[in-house]
Amino acid sequence: MSGLRFVLRRVALSLVTLWLLSVIVFLGAQVLPGDVGRAILGPLADPRAVAALDHKLGVDRPLLVQYWDWSSHFVTGDMGRSLVYRQPVGPFLAAALANSLKLAAIAFLLVVPLGIFGGVVAAMNVGRALDRIITVTGLSMTVVPEFVSSIVLILIFGVWLEWLPVSASWREGAGAFTQFRHLLLPAVPLVLVLFGYIARMARAGTVEALDADYTRTAVMKGLPFRTVVWRHVLPNALLPTITVIATQMGYLIGGLVVVETVFHYQGIGSLIYNAAKAKDFPMLESGVLMIGVVYTIATLIADVLYSLLNPRIRFGGRE
Amino acid sequence: MKADWKRIDLLRRNASELEADAIEQYLTGNVGRRELLRYGATIGMSGAVLATLGLVPETTPRAQAAPANQTIRAGIEVPASAVDPVTTGDAGGLCMLQQVGEFLCIDGPDLVLRPALATSWKPNAKGDVWTFSLRQGVKFHDGRPMTADDVVATFDRLANPKNASNALSAFKGVLAVGGTRKVDDHTVAFHLDAPNGNFPYYTSSDNYNAIIIPADFKGDYEKSFIGTGPFKLEKYTAKVGASFTRFDGYWGPKALPARTEFTFYQGMQSKVLALQGRQVDIIVPVAVQGGQAILHDPRFQIIRLRSAAHEQVHMRTDMGALRDKRVRRAIALSLDRKGLVAGLFQGLSDLGNDSPFAPVFPSTNTSVPQRTQDIKQAKELLAAAGHAKGVNIKLTTEKYIEIPDYAVLIQNFAKAIGVNITLKVESQSAYYGKAVFGQSDWLDSEMGITDYGHRGVPNVYLAAPLKSDGTWNAAHFKNPTYDRLVASYVAALDLAGQRAVSKEIETLLLDETPVIFGYFYNYLSAAVKGLKGAQPTAMAQLFLQNATLS
Amino acid sequence: MSEVTTASVAVETLRTVRRERLRVILRSPTFLAGAILVGFWILCALVGAAVVPVDPYATDLLHELAPPSAAHWFGTDQLGRDVFSRVIVGARDILTVAPLATLLGTTLGTALGLVTGYFGGIVDETISRLIEAVLALPLIVVALLALVAIGASDSTVVVVIGLVFTPVISRTVRAAVLAERSLDYVSAAELRGEGSLYIMFVEILPNVVPPILVETTVRLGYAIFAVASLSFLGFGIQPPSADWGLTIADNYGLIDGGFWWTVTFPAIAVASLVVGVNLLADGLSKALAE
Repeated sequence: MSGLRFVLRRVALSLVTLWLLSVIVFLGAQVLPGDVGRAILGPLADPRAVAALDHKLGVDRPLLVQYWDWSSHFVTGDMGRSLVYRQPVGPFLAAALANSLKLAAIAFLLVVPLGIFGGVVAAMNVGRALDRIITVTGLSMTVVPEFVSSIVLILIFGVWLEWLPVSASWREGAGAFTQFRHLLLPAVPLVLVLFGYIARMARAGTVEALDADYTRTAVMKGLPFRTVVWRHVLPNALLPTITVIATQMGYLIGGLVVVETVFHYQGIGSLIYNAAKAKDFPMLESGVLMIGVVYTIATLIADVLYSLLNPRIRFGGRE
Repeated sequence: MKADWKRIDLLRRNASELEADAIEQYLTGNVGRRELLRYGATIGMSGAVLATLGLVPETTPRAQAAPANQTIRAGIEVPASAVDPVTTGDAGGLCMLQQVGEFLCIDGPDLVLRPALATSWKPNAKGDVWTFSLRQGVKFHDGRPMTADDVVATFDRLANPKNASNALSAFKGVLAVGGTRKVDDHTVAFHLDAPNGNFPYYTSSDNYNAIIIPADFKGDYEKSFIGTGPFKLEKYTAKVGASFTRFDGYWGPKALPARTEFTFYQGMQSKVLALQGRQVDIIVPVAVQGGQAILHDPRFQIIRLRSAAHEQVHMRTDMGALRDKRVRRAIALSLDRKGLVAGLFQGLSDLGNDSPFAPVFPSTNTSVPQRTQDIKQAKELLAAAGHAKGVNIKLTTEKYIEIPDYAVLIQNFAKAIGVNITLKVESQSAYYGKAVFGQSDWLDSEMGITDYGHRGVPNVYLAAPLKSDGTWNAAHFKNPTYDRLVASYVAALDLAGQRAVSKEIETLLLDETPVIFGYFYNYLSAAVKGLKGAQPTAMAQLFLQNATLS
Repeated sequence: MSEVTTASVAVETLRTVRRERLRVILRSPTFLAGAILVGFWILCALVGAAVVPVDPYATDLLHELAPPSAAHWFGTDQLGRDVFSRVIVGARDILTVAPLATLLGTTLGTALGLVTGYFGGIVDETISRLIEAVLALPLIVVALLALVAIGASDSTVVVVIGLVFTPVISRTVRAAVLAERSLDYVSAAELRGEGSLYIMFVEILPNVVPPILVETTVRLGYAIFAVASLSFLGFGIQPPSADWGLTIADNYGLIDGGFWWTVTFPAIAVASLVVGVNLLADGLSKALAE
């Protein structure tokens, strides 16, 4: 199978996946309790007012009509209007996505070098105490819920040492450095969660590479060990790491509801969470699909990169 | 008392019956100074009359400084939906409306009505027609003058069932479409569905939807934010914030700040952090739960308003053990209310006496004794009801500020008298459900706790949650005597009459106890020390036109 | 050699392997550390309520937010409840909900994995697409959205997390089944004319138990992670439970007031439990891999 055909097939499959996702979310949204009119007007509003509002917003139409209305606009790039805010969904989503990307980028910049470094160090010390410590600690941190690590970080760095702000919201127009300072504390829990995954993959890749023929040859040729590591081991060790990073993109962009809640940050996770609570269907559906798109693109890029960088794997050879 | 008796006599002769009654009540000492002011304002007693009695309504002292070019920054709850005078009903949204819009009258922090877009108001003898004189020379932000047509359109819009109006439930049985009639360009008459002695409150800031907007309003309010207030919109960004600038065409004294800036926050803690980080100068509202960090911080001032906001603990009067009023009373007697107020609110709350008559209302009859904890009597009542060995009850409630904690405390109190309460705490949307009988945990549960926001008068609390046909009657309380009493309370135009009825209502509710009113908590805001003249209301509104920062 | 003896030899070998594995597992320090942590919390969940010094649900409005002392080792919370006792009994709900959810997920996931792996073709393709669609979202978001929709209670949390885990577990099982599918014993059974159900559940299933076991333990760690996070967000275990995630959610607004003890101890409890389960899983997978 040629490279282009591989990519096309993957894109087509991704589109099917995204369409299925939209249907699932749409059907799921229908079982949300209450209705939009009630959510907007509050529990004590008169039922006649609620009915009038539901009619005005068009949520009293048959389900299929609503879904068609939304999806036929979506494919043309129009994400519809928020039922609750009565404004186009696009700007809300863009703002939330920008916030999420900022946080994800900082976490990413911290965790990738750290994780790879940790993994390589562990691999160079295979079987020794340092290896066990890095592996077990990393693995353990991946399952500690973010709110637990956040609370500990807030207590230490925010409340006792007062080094960093404990809230990720800054004044409008704040400079890049201020924003970075505010995002540092929220980024650390993500680093803790991801470190273990990346370190494990980097370790496995390095162990394999250290063992490989080309490494032995290089060492036998008399190259300094450090050079061997840099030139031969690292590039190979990084390959599997790319995949694990890509699979975590969905989480990094859309799965941070907890961290966003603790640090009062308006990312895409809290956007869809609030949309679900308010039964704001266009907002919810577009937000969910946005996460799906990010995830799909990330895995697609990872697959292509993996195939390009690794001569041992032919296109289509996965699966 | 610095009263001129000759002039008072003259006044009495010239005053309307209502005014004469109020003056009489005041002079004989039945009514205090504050109450008279408040009541006098409701019936539209003129400032001249009050001045004669040696009384001048308190107004927020205005800073002496000339308008400074300051920007005041406030942190409020994020508006839960599009800001729209017709539909908005949440704290953040109604605060936004009040920044640009004005009401016919304002319900101040002392629950005294003050003239705003109306200069005076009068009821007819029966109390079912109220005539309001409108202020002249009022301009909308687009320069057009405000007239009676705008007022009529505003109220018709809110009373119309086809308009998704948030005020509809308040106007139900009070004012219908067509009831608001123009008399002349600056006079409007409200023809009510039934006599109502407290009607002016329905046109005040209490009814937060009732800002006067142009008759030709078509919707999409966020584009214009049009109103008549001292500030006009500069910029509004949904979910983020808003800013306003001084409106130079304002009819009254111009606003002192040149600009105000509002930032929206989700939840208590983020507001508190913003204040601590000096990102804002004032935050409204602050709950004791989560606000502990600033309540005792000397860098900040706490603005405290007594309010009628409360939680109703309803007990189904038609179901299981609670059908017996002795059981209901026993549970109410198990509560240590002073402990509740100290524990949940650090004392920043009034005690409740199991009726909607909050201590803050002038019409509350304080001669009815306060119910206090009495474990012995409670146990006796339970035994008399045949539950000496204990009884099991399920309490369902919503996750909202201190309510889950309140539920746990009630559970603990009830345990002491042998009432075993199991708790079910759910999200607000699950608790309210469809908000109609049969499809709502709120209205169908055996026992529950429901939040009620502040109102300037008890009318709404008296009707919907307790009257036989009440749409929020979660206790399923059906008592013809009570219904009759409420009708006569609502119709009563004079304070003495209201107090006579409220005594009967309070006594009846203490006996029946369909709902426990444990406390009426204070409405709190927090600001930096240098901020002066900012005036929040217990409805989550925030008046900033007199605010200065030092 | 008769068939009977072959079988008995095989059984004997299997027993030896198992014994050997058990020995390896028990000698692994990570497994032991995990077992001690998890064992401690299971003990707390089982008998905690009977042995705690103070009634964990009793309020005391005169002693709110008291710092740790001899009377209250971990201090008291906003309602004057004893934090130490609440941390001990707080293990109960999460250790009920998370294992049940894992069990449900494993059962359904195994069944689904067997079916997709064994049949392949259109069934596999369709189900895989659906699974992929759901997995494009972070699991916690899927669970959260579902619980917002149907309302949170202990049983709905079990069902939702179980269902969310199903596709993940089924993928592991499917991969294992695919490897077994081509082995002789499967074709032999097919030739004997055994039904698909019989082959899947009687022939293949016993051979894919080790990966399922490891996956289950790993999932248990994530189930605890998920339940705690959901409780923290208000869509997991509901008040008045002394659950740790819930307690932290109720009290984290207090930490900048200096009342650190109300959140620190439950946080340590959550962390120690998830780490314990994870260590167990790590030890188990190492042993089974050898």
